[in-house]
Amino acid sequence: MLKIEAAPWADMVQHAQATYPNECVGVMLGASGDGAKNVQIALRMENVNPGSQRERYQLDSRDLLAADAEARRRGLTLIGIYHSHPDCDAYFSQTDLKNSCPWYSFVVLSIRSGRFDHANSWLPDAEQTQAEKEPLIVENSHA
Amino acid sequence: MPKVLIPTPLRQYAGQNDAVVVEGATVGEALTRLTTAHPDLRRQLYSDEGKLRSFVNVYVNDEDIRYLKKDQTPLSSSDVVSIVPSIAGGSALPQQPPSPGLSNEEILRYSRHLIMPEVGMEGQLKLKQARVLLIGTGGLGAPLGLYLAAAGVGTIGLVDFDVVDFTNLQRQVIHGTKDVGRKKLDSAADRMADINPLIKIVKHDTLLSSENALDILKDYDIVVDGTDNFPTRYLVNDACVLLGKPNVYGSIFRFEGQCTVFAYPGGPCYRCLYPEPPPPGLVPSCAEGGVLGILPGTIGVMQATEAVKLILGKGEPLVGRLVLFDALAMRFRELKLRKNPECPVCGDHPTITKLIDYQEFCGIPQHEPPPAPGKKEWEIDPVEVKAKIDRGDRFVFIDVREPHEYQICKIPGTILIPLGDLPKRVNELNSADEIVAHCKSGMRSGKAVDFLRQAGFKKVKNMVGGILAWSDKVDRSVPKY
Repeated sequence: MLKIEAAPWADMVQHAQATYPNECVGVMLGASGDGAKNVQIALRMENVNPGSQRERYQLDSRDLLAADAEARRRGLTLIGIYHSHPDCDAYFSQTDLKNSCPWYSFVVLSIRSGRFDHANSWLPDAEQTQAEKEPLIVENSHA
Repeated sequence: MPKVLIPTPLRQYAGQNDAVVVEGATVGEALTRLTTAHPDLRRQLYSDEGKLRSFVNVYVNDEDIRYLKKDQTPLSSSDVVSIVPSIAGGSALPQQPPSPGLSNEEILRYSRHLIMPEVGMEGQLKLKQARVLLIGTGGLGAPLGLYLAAAGVGTIGLVDFDVVDFTNLQRQVIHGTKDVGRKKLDSAADRMADINPLIKIVKHDTLLSSENALDILKDYDIVVDGTDNFPTRYLVNDACVLLGKPNVYGSIFRFEGQCTVFAYPGGPCYRCLYPEPPPPGLVPSCAEGGVLGILPGTIGVMQATEAVKLILGKGEPLVGRLVLFDALAMRFRELKLRKNPECPVCGDHPTITKLIDYQEFCGIPQHEPPPAPGKKEWEIDPVEVKAKIDRGDRFVFIDVREPHEYQICKIPGTILIPLGDLPKRVNELNSADEIVAHCKSGMRSGKAVDFLRQAGFKKVKNMVGGILAWSDKVDRSVPKY
């Protein structure tokens, strides 16, 4: 199960909406144990896909290393990666699957016409053949 | 001793350690020691066959070991080894259509592929699901179309607007004599469908342009460039970079050819190799310089091989390597190509973020500029030249083509002075004489006339349209080539 606290969740939604109509990418840091993961911080990353970014994202390995170092510095774990799907659902596409890694939760945010629509979290397997949907709990702050 | 940083989600498999100090002279040794001590970590990093999992990259300090000596990359005691997965994705290709597998007919047809483990059912299905776009159905496009169709590439797009011509048949083996005058698209598609009726062929009856390129290319996984002009090469390159699609490149000239894969993730693009096009006219086309008919066969088949390897994900793709082939010496050479961080389209700070005007970029005016004042006085029509001969006017008629062209056909009474020899043989000409120069189509003789004018000749004229126009307008018995 993946739980995302209100502050990082707001950051992620804002990032995905601001990047629309392109795809955004970022990482989620937090604490994990006993199968439960709690996201406390979301960090924006740069989408370095060299072509169109409307339906593709790529994360620079050096950026990911830096993010992991940041997690270590804060005593946290890099729990997952988030990215957006502009104008389509939050499925885990074949492209997502073939470039995934089973160490992380992959949160996909569906953005329709620039507004957040829905999100799912996925756990891909090590062979990149399938991804399992992971229960996702989001803390909303409607204050 | 070198230190291996453990990615934070994997600490649980490494005794909750952030970093582990291990012995090892190479990366391979260090990782083996690490994963022997922590078998749970091994399962995260290595497949059951003992190979590093495809998504795992290893860095030594700041460098990816794929670009160093891979497993054999040496380690010193101060080095830091990092493990980092490669992450990408996107909404593209949401779900591949449920694969129906191969029919019995397909299994029979592709049996020589299927019995090789490198292809097998999985690879043949990849070929079936692949979408490859061939730009041009000429010399390179011919073997590409034939072999990719035969191999079972499920969707093959063809872009061409040309018509089959007799001069094509010496090398464009996808077309036959019966096809002369037909659209190359129709001729090529018919031949490919005859070889393999189980594939889908998509015809794009158009000249690829900045306006339509992205729209056409977006529906394909791999683009194969079989064109022979610079504007289209830059256009295809930039479009492939912008769309993130590999560009399987080939080029041919006379007896020499080149092949590589551009715009592959992390690899160089055509602009990394050639940031600027050559000045127009400097590099002759195959129509001007000729080409060994078999050469596009060799190079096109190499391109087809690379396309199939990319689809299968097998072998070592020709990325960052340019293969040069010399048919006369029968020799292959390989040049290393590097991605240029300053590249205007694929570099770190690209300045080209959309398609531009490639005709203009290559210095080719889109509309013929009005002739320079007085230019006409330096030109003469073939019909007028014939009238001068018939009247018995005294003038010197020079042919500035090459000797082997002179052997194909000539106009009686001409003196052969190849354009390149003109400077050293200019003393054979008298500036008091009236001089007419011709070549095949009027380009080279135009240069000859310019040269002679600068050398002080006043009564010199270029026969417009060359010997091709002579054949059309004056003497149809002169063959065209």
